[in-house]
Amino acid sequence: MSISRRDLFKVAGVGILGAGLLSKPAFSAAERVVKMSAMLPSPKGNRVVICGGGWAGLTVAKYLKKEDPSIDVVLIEKRPNFFSCPISNEWLAGFVDLDFISHDYLQPASKYGYKFINTTVVAIERDKRRVYTPHGYIEYDYLVLAPGIKYNYDAWFKGDKDMTRYTKYHYPAAFIPGSEHLALKRKVWEFEGGDFVITVPPGVYRCPPAPYERAAMIAYVFKKNNVKGRVIILDPKEDIAPKGPGFRAAYEQLYLGIVEYVPKASIKEVDPVNKIIKTTAGDFKFTDANLVPPHQAGELVWMADLIAKDKEGKPTGWADQDPLTFQAKADPRVFLVGDVVGGVPYPKSGHMANSQGKIVARIIASRIKGKEHKLELPDNTCYSMVNGNPQEAIVISVTYKYDEKEKKIIPHPKVINQRSEALAKATYEWAKGMYRDLFA
Amino acid sequence: MDRRVFIKACSTLAVASLVDASIFSQTLANTKGTLKRYTKALLVKEDGSPLREEDIKPHTQYIFFYPYASTPCYLINLDREIKPVELKLKDGGSYTWQGGAGKKRSLVAYSAICPHQLSHPTKDYSFINYYPPDKPSETTKKGGIIQCCAHVSLFDPAEGGKVLDGPAEFPLAAILLETEGDKIYAVGTVGVDQFTQFFENFKQDLIQQYGSLANAKKMVESCTVVEIKRYTKEVIHC
Ligand SMILES: Cc1cc2nc3c(=O)[nH]c(=O)nc-3n(C[C@H](O)[C@H](O)[C@H](O)COP(=O)(O)OP(=O)(O)OC[C@H]3O[C@@H](n4cnc5c(N)ncnc54)[C@H](O)[C@@H]3O)c2cc1C
Ligand code: FES
Repeated sequence: MSISRRDLFKVAGVGILGAGLLSKPAFSAAERVVKMSAMLPSPKGNRVVICGGGWAGLTVAKYLKKEDPSIDVVLIEKRPNFFSCPISNEWLAGFVDLDFISHDYLQPASKYGYKFINTTVVAIERDKRRVYTPHGYIEYDYLVLAPGIKYNYDAWFKGDKDMTRYTKYHYPAAFIPGSEHLALKRKVWEFEGGDFVITVPPGVYRCPPAPYERAAMIAYVFKKNNVKGRVIILDPKEDIAPKGPGFRAAYEQLYLGIVEYVPKASIKEVDPVNKIIKTTAGDFKFTDANLVPPHQAGELVWMADLIAKDKEGKPTGWADQDPLTFQAKADPRVFLVGDVVGGVPYPKSGHMANSQGKIVARIIASRIKGKEHKLELPDNTCYSMVNGNPQEAIVISVTYKYDEKEKKIIPHPKVINQRSEALAKATYEWAKGMYRDLFA
Repeated sequence: MDRRVFIKACSTLAVASLVDASIFSQTLANTKGTLKRYTKALLVKEDGSPLREEDIKPHTQYIFFYPYASTPCYLINLDREIKPVELKLKDGGSYTWQGGAGKKRSLVAYSAICPHQLSHPTKDYSFINYYPPDKPSETTKKGGIIQCCAHVSLFDPAEGGKVLDGPAEFPLAAILLETEGDKIYAVGTVGVDQFTQFFENFKQDLIQQYGSLANAKKMVESCTVVEIKRYTKEVIHC
């Protein structure tokens, strides 16, 4: 059993409180979960439940239906509508409006015939093959977990919830879409001068170039609005990566004196109240900030007890998955897709999540038909806008090959660090293609 | 075209036409790779006179619309004999592409709708383009290829539009060309075409550009062939 009954009580209680039933005592909420009945009647054939309707989950849902319309596909997503992180930096700079990056979940569900359930998954029982929501449980034959990331503020505040909340509200990370992005945009456009700090998370994190692109876009806004502000990037790495030369050139040629890049700046202490960050590269006082804590796999992977362990048996923070089949190592009926995985050579990107989602759909459809699935590896293309006037971007594109002898996945990257207007236009073409693929 | 090749390709047509046209079976039919005969359309120059082989400069990217008024295709003279090839699809299916047309068998034509996520040339931009051997792509360093800058898919125009790299899951759909004397005709498509999805996904844009979907879906009877730069404001290379 992946989660004990006592744990289920605990998780369900927390989940339901999280879902907004604060007037009910936790105990009765938990009891209700245990007494819960099935939310959907049993399907005639196989049912695949997908938890998380982001880039990965949406792709799996659509492509499963395309592969085999007879599969009962259920997508559970807690957000009422879709807000894209990709292109959110361009939106931050005012190049596109909210309509470009927001989409409705109803169109693809109605068009492709999968069930879209707008609720939160509060518990998972792998031995019973059940997923719990506040409205009942749903049984599955195959489960896809695609909840994206969660923030690990504990790495900074060691469980101090007040400090975490204070930081979340005052200096939102905006790596999980929604209010945080809107708050960040408000902060950037209302900024009147001083030092605006961006922290780059350590280790693996969602969208490696995002902080650097964001810095360029914020610097562009400051420059355009004649704001005497600096954007200070605190990066634990030794250098900018990926597309380092492209970002560096933009900072030096377009934003000299505006963007300051600080390498080897691992965070020792964050004091959001007094606005000081202590790092291995020195202490930094800030006027305002975009404080991005370390990332981990989304909560559902923890709930399902599918987090990888290191040699000492400590959780790595990321899902334990076979990168060739996307299956959970501990449970072949569970597929782990998108940003939930760390350590494999796949970066965490929307393109990558979409690419993986198609493969996972084919693997599950093949398994349901009792067929073997031939090895397929995903790919990634990532544009970053670095200039606003004129709009100019750089790009990296990576395909992967499997080295049978070495048993290794080898990336083949191709980069253009020379920024251009053509690549800026291609950035939007990239996004339009992706949105069409997920929604149209 | 070689009669044997044609017969082989035709046999898949019979199977495809049995499939009903619901959205799912349409996708299914599309992934099988078929030859479809459409109206026979003469390729013409801008002045309306028939396009002759001599008019087609080597390694230059020409655009025309076939089989519908709104579906863009590329015509390229690869300047050498291009042999027929068998193309394999991921689902295990395969089909034969007829190779180059014309006296030198050097003319190839493909649908310019990217099989990945349908990027295609519009009046404003074209992100999917031919890169001549002497002008390789900056990203992939490859020439003699068709590359789509939306998500960097690469296709081989000398091999039936085969996918060389990137996210596209099947080849570019080829346009079947036939010559009669000096005249060149487009007569059908070979491979996995994306027309149904194209009309579905770009409904609003097509209505805006053509006045109505019916206009956009009108079958053409002749195709004006122009260099890409005469059609689109910006040819985007990457
Ligand atoms: C600023 C920024 C810029 C970026 N730019 C790019 C870019 O240009 N190109 C690119 O390819 N990628 C980019 N990315 C990365 C991209 O956003 C992610 O890699 C992508 O969203 C990952 O997809 P996913 O499906 O794994 O997770 P997500 O898209 O985050 O989806 C996870 C979904 O699961 C839902 N969920 C979580 N828990 C539950 C639960 N308990 N119950 C129900 N639902 C739940 C969430 O609400 C969410 O909708 C960018 C990211 C950021 C932050
Ligand atoms: S649309 Fe051409 S590569 Fe994606």
